[in-house]
Amino acid sequence: MATATLPNEFLKPLRVFASLRLTVVCLGCGMLLIFLGTLAQVHLGIHAVQARYFQSLLVFWSPRGADWKIPILPGGYLLGTVLLVNLIAAHATRFEVSRKKIGIFLLHLGVILLLLGQLLTGLYARETQMRLDNGQTLGYSEAPREVELAVIDVTDPSFDQVVSVPEEVLARGGTIQNPTLPFTIGIRRFLPNARLTMRAQEPNAPVSLATTGFGPNVVVTELPRTVKDDERDLTSAFIEINGVQGSLGTWLVSNAIADRQSFSVNDHSYELIMRQRRFYKQFALTLIHFEHDRYAGTDIPKNFSSRVRLLDSERGENREVLISMNDPLRYRGYTFYQAGFDNNDTTTILQVVKNPAMLLPYIACGLVGLGLLVQFSMHLFGFVRKRNR
Amino acid sequence: MFASCGPSDDSKITVYRIPKETAPAATPPLNTAAGAGPALEWSAPAGWETQPASGFRKGSFLVKGADGKTADISIISFPEQAGGLLGNVNRWRDQLKLAPITNEAEAGTPISVAGRDMFFVDLVSAQPVTPDGAKSRILGGIFPLPGETWFFKMMGPDQLVEAQRDAFKQFLGSVRPAESVAPATADNAGNTNAPTPPPIAPAAGAALQYTLPNGWQEKPLSTMRRASFNAPDPNGNSADISVVSLPGTAGGELANVNRWRDQVKLGPIDEQALARSAEHLQANGHDYLMVDLVSAGPIGDPPEKQRIVAAILNENDHAWFIKMTGPDAAVDAQRSAFTDFLRSLKIP
Repeated sequence: MATATLPNEFLKPLRVFASLRLTVVCLGCGMLLIFLGTLAQVHLGIHAVQARYFQSLLVFWSPRGADWKIPILPGGYLLGTVLLVNLIAAHATRFEVSRKKIGIFLLHLGVILLLLGQLLTGLYARETQMRLDNGQTLGYSEAPREVELAVIDVTDPSFDQVVSVPEEVLARGGTIQNPTLPFTIGIRRFLPNARLTMRAQEPNAPVSLATTGFGPNVVVTELPRTVKDDERDLTSAFIEINGVQGSLGTWLVSNAIADRQSFSVNDHSYELIMRQRRFYKQFALTLIHFEHDRYAGTDIPKNFSSRVRLLDSERGENREVLISMNDPLRYRGYTFYQAGFDNNDTTTILQVVKNPAMLLPYIACGLVGLGLLVQFSMHLFGFVRKRNR
Repeated sequence: MFASCGPSDDSKITVYRIPKETAPAATPPLNTAAGAGPALEWSAPAGWETQPASGFRKGSFLVKGADGKTADISIISFPEQAGGLLGNVNRWRDQLKLAPITNEAEAGTPISVAGRDMFFVDLVSAQPVTPDGAKSRILGGIFPLPGETWFFKMMGPDQLVEAQRDAFKQFLGSVRPAESVAPATADNAGNTNAPTPPPIAPAAGAALQYTLPNGWQEKPLSTMRRASFNAPDPNGNSADISVVSLPGTAGGELANVNRWRDQVKLGPIDEQALARSAEHLQANGHDYLMVDLVSAGPIGDPPEKQRIVAAILNENDHAWFIKMTGPDAAVDAQRSAFTDFLRSLKIP
């Protein structure tokens, strides 16, 4: 890594990236990004801001109603990547590995890991929720802000075969084909948020795209996506099932409709439902009891905890676990935090986090701390030695 | 390590097999974004202590027995069917350690509340389910309304809850649509959120007098409409005309105009902009505020330019909304007929 070991033609372009000015510009842009992102939360909500400002390469702006956009700021991913390259390039061109600089080297390694950890978390971590009523057993968690179209083959009496089409695929439109299905699914229209009304209440509403199921009796009005943290979109879509014989009809599916709609093809019975996207696990949890302690004589919460039974036939696990506010359950790469409760303290809400990069920030902070300790200690000892001389 | 949950699987269709599920009692964790159902009010019997409503609770009460034991009364509403009657009764049965039932007819007894069906539920545990060794009882009222379902529930020691049965039934009987909130906008019938029958408020009042313009057809009156017409044009399109009256200001002129603007996908305006853009029509001694709204482009299904021409009148503590909606061409053709109609209309 020392200057002398790298040939000059490699160093030239590296020096551009190693510039301290670039560091300052990046940090400045970062501050501006955080400031503007915070302001934008008012109109966009925290989830959209995270995606547009921080988990993106560029931040775009477009005037109201226009269908073009221009980049106005580097996004979080771009800034993080440039800072990462900048730091590594600086080490390659300017820093020399010596015993004296070992502290700074460790410190920078920590910062590099921190940046990498954040990038990996942004790309790979997933947060979902598990809602368990007293006595209920669930083997899946749900994404609170993402839907899926589930096409369920219910023919077999002992199991269901589910084809899950995520929201992103529905939003793209077009026709969906899956080798396990003897038909195609055409997305006639996708509405990220909509209001559903009975046709009887809006008799002069235009005729529905839907030809079968609940759809023909329901009027669907598109709404802008919600930006509020405590609200949820009611996502709807019109989908057409096409078999070998031709169209079987167009259905309206929506996560506002809790009931499944059924049809059959080739002696197989299928059910359609739009619901919060599910993530099945290799294990299941049963809520034995949810405890909500209050300070004596008041309504002030003291502690929330869920006693659950962990069932994993693959690994032979069948044991009770207590999940409380600062004591999550960690199992098979998932972390279950106590996040909320409902229904008169008979339902628990667990936040389910899967983050493969979970350990990186801890390692990074350890390295930064160690680096600082080494660097300051060397200075201190040097100073003391000088004084004693 | 990362491959198992990488970002790429966001956009992938997955196929999996799962054991058969029993019907879940779905309880959505968040409010829906698309408006709420009707608001309700009730009267609490004597002796019930009001508790602060929290979380999902719309209301909360406490009843104390002679022995110091307490029963808890909660009022909760969830969007849509919230898991259905059977699902929720089974959830309550589970709380009392009772086996689930499968016959919906056994789930609850229908009782009439505010002219609609409510399902009365009475459950008692077979054994003690609380540490104090007493049996527990749940009295409940499940009230499906357009767009949401309300749950009235009393839970506590068997003896105490049993003693409160009459009070609880009287409480259920007192449930009614909230007068202050229900008619917030002119046609809130269209504002509810779910495929369910029309809401509670029926149209009332004397018949209206008017001269029917040429080509207009009278339509049957619905829940909110004092008069209702259809004006077809030769191209197969038609304009829908409605006359609605509501007590009070029904949300005010601006709120209603902005709601209509939203229906034709126009952005909201403020009081000044409304004053600038709206015209007034003097007819039969009334001063109507007139608005004419056209969508910027084709909307709806099939996509077409949509238009709303409407007149608002506030008189004698009532708000009147006379509104014509439909495809732009059909509405445009009926503009002068609409004005003639207003001139002929006698507001009682």
